[in-house]
Amino acid sequence: MTNSSQPVLQIRDYSLAYHVPAGPVPVLKGINLQIERGEILGLVGESGSGKSTLAGAVMRYLSGNAHENDGGIFLGDTDLRAQTQRAMSDIRGRRMSMVFQDPATSLNPTLRLGEQLAEVLIRHRGLSRAQAWREGEARLAHVGLKTPAEMMHRMPHEVSGGEKQRVVIATAFACNPELIIFDEPTTALDVITSRQILDLFAELQSETGVASLYISHDLALVSQTAGRVAVLEKGNIVEEGETRELFRNPVHSYTRALIDAVPRPERRLVQPLAAASAPPLVTIRDVSVSYGRKSLLDSVLRRDFQAVVGNRAITLDIRPGEVLGIVGESGSGKSTLAKAMTGLNRFDGLIEFDGRPVRGLTDMNRDYRRDVQIIFQHPDASLNPRQKISEILARPIRLYGDRADGSARDRIAAMLERVRLPASYIDRYPHQLSGGEKQRIAIARAFLSNPRLVICDEITSALDVSVQASVIDLLMELHRDTGAAYVFITHDINLIRQIAHRIAVMYRGDLIEVVEADRIGDSDRAPYTQQLLSAVTAPASALGG
Amino acid sequence: MTDFLRRLLRTPQGFLGSLIVGLILIAVALGQWLTPYGPADMQALARYGAPSIEHWLGTDQYGRDILSRLLDGARSTVVMALLATFIGTLGGAVLGTGSAYLGGRADEFIMRTVDAVMAIPSLLLALLVVSLLGSSSANALLAIAIAFMPSMARISRSVALAVRKQDYVSAAIARGEGSTYIILREMLPNVIAPIVVEMTIRVSFAVMLFATLSFLGLGAQPPATDWGLMVSEARQYLHRSYWILLWPSAAIALTAIGFNLLGDGLRDALNPRT
Amino acid sequence: MSANYILKRIALIFYTLFIVSVLVFGITQILPADAAVMMLGENATQEALEALRQRMGLNDPVWMQYLHWAGGVLQGDFGTSLRTGQPVGPALFSALGTSLTLAGFALIFMLILAMPMGVIAAIRRGKPADLIVGFISYIGVSLPEFVTATLAVMLVADMWGLLPPAGYIPLSQDFWGGLERLILPVVVVSVMMIAHVSRMVRSELVDVMHTDYIRAARLKGLHPRRVLFRHGLRNALLPTITIVALDVGYLLGGVIVVEEIFSIPGIGRSLMSAIQNRDLPVIQAGVMIMAATYSIVNFAADLMYAWLDKRIQYD
Repeated sequence: MTNSSQPVLQIRDYSLAYHVPAGPVPVLKGINLQIERGEILGLVGESGSGKSTLAGAVMRYLSGNAHENDGGIFLGDTDLRAQTQRAMSDIRGRRMSMVFQDPATSLNPTLRLGEQLAEVLIRHRGLSRAQAWREGEARLAHVGLKTPAEMMHRMPHEVSGGEKQRVVIATAFACNPELIIFDEPTTALDVITSRQILDLFAELQSETGVASLYISHDLALVSQTAGRVAVLEKGNIVEEGETRELFRNPVHSYTRALIDAVPRPERRLVQPLAAASAPPLVTIRDVSVSYGRKSLLDSVLRRDFQAVVGNRAITLDIRPGEVLGIVGESGSGKSTLAKAMTGLNRFDGLIEFDGRPVRGLTDMNRDYRRDVQIIFQHPDASLNPRQKISEILARPIRLYGDRADGSARDRIAAMLERVRLPASYIDRYPHQLSGGEKQRIAIARAFLSNPRLVICDEITSALDVSVQASVIDLLMELHRDTGAAYVFITHDINLIRQIAHRIAVMYRGDLIEVVEADRIGDSDRAPYTQQLLSAVTAPASALGG
Repeated sequence: MTDFLRRLLRTPQGFLGSLIVGLILIAVALGQWLTPYGPADMQALARYGAPSIEHWLGTDQYGRDILSRLLDGARSTVVMALLATFIGTLGGAVLGTGSAYLGGRADEFIMRTVDAVMAIPSLLLALLVVSLLGSSSANALLAIAIAFMPSMARISRSVALAVRKQDYVSAAIARGEGSTYIILREMLPNVIAPIVVEMTIRVSFAVMLFATLSFLGLGAQPPATDWGLMVSEARQYLHRSYWILLWPSAAIALTAIGFNLLGDGLRDALNPRT
Repeated sequence: MSANYILKRIALIFYTLFIVSVLVFGITQILPADAAVMMLGENATQEALEALRQRMGLNDPVWMQYLHWAGGVLQGDFGTSLRTGQPVGPALFSALGTSLTLAGFALIFMLILAMPMGVIAAIRRGKPADLIVGFISYIGVSLPEFVTATLAVMLVADMWGLLPPAGYIPLSQDFWGGLERLILPVVVVSVMMIAHVSRMVRSELVDVMHTDYIRAARLKGLHPRRVLFRHGLRNALLPTITIVALDVGYLLGGVIVVEEIFSIPGIGRSLMSAIQNRDLPVIQAGVMIMAATYSIVNFAADLMYAWLDKRIQYD
């Protein structure tokens, strides 16, 4: 249908604005893009850059208040903007398809996986139910699922995240489309699983030669996947070029800033620990956490009760002023440990803080509470929406402050300046701040009590790359100034290699090992650590330099 | 406050609801001064009157002015419903949040028992309580308050549990705040909004339950001006005038609609993130 | 869903009935009524009254009376009516049959109307059809049954003479005549539920149509009909099962009013007259039967939900 000289996807001078009561909000401005057959174009942008809207525009799936200019979007020689919705439903799934961010939400939870794959084959290739089912099995085998026949009959909740995403990918490739849009297809997956999905994608891509638009916020990942990269900033494509070239010589300042913001393990942001031999600040001995409670019925029927294990006998030291990284996939028990240390979870075992034993909630006295602070992942959830910043930040001062330090308001203003926020924010509500600003408030709250240990639970994962970099800078600055020890929980291994002195690796509730940050790449590491590390996408600079 | 009102009046539900409820509250407060007739003034010559200049809504079987009776009845019906809802909500909220706070076996025991009580239809529960205490408006009030408690306990508990799981409460616990501060400053402001919304909608149920009890002869007794009682009495004189039936019915429906709309409007206006 | 879960739910039904029985027995004990006086009349001699009290166990401690009564209930003996002297059980169960016929028809009528109303409102969100359905449901939830009933009788029966104003004929006796008399009560008792359920269906479906998997289904190029029926409705209607089951409590309350107005000899009417006459055994048995009905309906709904939604793993 498409002749070989023509690009598969062509976007010309395309602009779009959302009309809201306050007036039009421009989202895409004069976009020009094209993708050739067999090519992968990476589209990089932060949240709010308009990248998802662009995907919607290509699929002709826009919300009612979207107003477009008269720019063109062509799939081969088909003018997509001239198609009716009915005609589009013939094109979607057949000539172009899409892979979404989170397979857990993009699959219908109440339909069998097989049906969700087969329905596309029935709709677009005119197969009968039986034929479609057989073809579906073959497709599932093709995306590396071991037991395709069984998989067809499973419900989404019965398979893992990686398996779900494989089914979604099989569906996208089912009708041999000309174009596939990948919208952050690995963001919701664990490190090792995303590596496998990326390998599968590369394999299918080279085999079918489908043109791909690969949307991601992750520069490092795009640098390894795409042949060409376009950088989207606030609706403008500020730079576009061949991947190697773009990373080696970024022209636009925004591109440069983005590349600089990507964590690089060899660029250490933390000084070596001065007193490595000092007695530990915190000693964690055989700390276990389990969830669940024996029900009345179980007791009546004298049945055994199986508790869910969160942590299994964790033993760990934290030195004064140390940054200890904890890495692991979701469900590895990283956050469970953080909650046990802050009295949010019951635990068995012993925590010693500065020589004082803590066996449970009752041992966590005023001093312990002041010395150990926690910062959560989502500032939206950790800041009370009905309290002003002034009240939120006044609490640690009221609880632990020194009368001599001046008025609470002055101290809050000083702290706001330290976390580089304007003093006028003191009378605002959290929802009037951006995500990065809210996280700075949460950091300010933790440091107002002059803690000796700060637990950071995935505090940058909800933030954009550039915002993340500035929050990390702030944390490291506070680390230098206050000398507080950090427990930094994250799944971003490149980031933790930059800022941690030692790294603890966790897997399914067990502590696998604790290693010096610069020795984590050594060949005598535990097998799981090696697996984890090899799954991490090497940062962009490795490719550029 | 002005910001909150502006948000409330911005939605059509909020606007209409505020308007209707506002008018009803004016009728409740000023009702007796708004009409020239007393609710019990009988005019033998003007029985079964259709709406006219002198009697805007007509007159009933004894020649009493219907508008005057409705305005008088607004006081008992609406005030009673508000009180009953408030008491029921308060009792339910204390029970529900207390249960959520206790947690574990105690929580399970309390909530299973609340569920059990909910197996008795609330109208039937109210009927039982009234028959136990005797038919009167005050007893009907108590009956409705009691009938509302189980479901309000359920709602408050689930709201309290949802708030309890929020990170800002975890943060307060980790910070070492006392339970008083956590409950009053961190949880309460976030728990109260959805309960107020539910309570507003409940007022309309209370108005209807109240009227139903009076209608069944177990609430207010003649010659009270309770709207449900007015409907009940009017049924016998249906063939003479349907106005005496229509107006109190419309008053009940309008009040219920008003509080329903207001509740939906409040739901949007009280959301801090919109 | 496991056997464990079913076991737990059944245990809960018994717990519910236990709590309800204690509650009802407690309330009826406090009631200022002397069963002996009621049976023998105001003029009975003190000796005769005392003898009857002795025989009925009215002088025993309350807990013994409760155990005696509960033991009887477990054997299917609900005691005898103070007013008629007849056993309570058989009379109430035949009345229950009548009420269930009324409630059953109302449930079916409600579903036939409320489901399409909710679906149409959801897929035509913001359009006139949605506004009309929204308007109807606001009116519907704001009209108590006795108002709807009175207005319906006034219009349909008195003014237009289309249907009989009251009365009941068992369907087994005269099917069409019985049905004719059931129309008004069924409509009246289902108005509130129609309004409530159509609103719930609408909001559930609106939520579902905004999920990622619906977007995915549309972007697979599926026919809009398939997206709505196979992907959307199924997930939207699941929670409705629970809502409808909970509404059955409300329906049973409405049945009491409607039976009273339309003179239908159901359990609601028996209960009303028992409450007016302080006929304690009938009140006790009637409330127990109502609570049991509600519990069983909700149990069935939970089973149905678990059967339809394989995601949920009860333990």
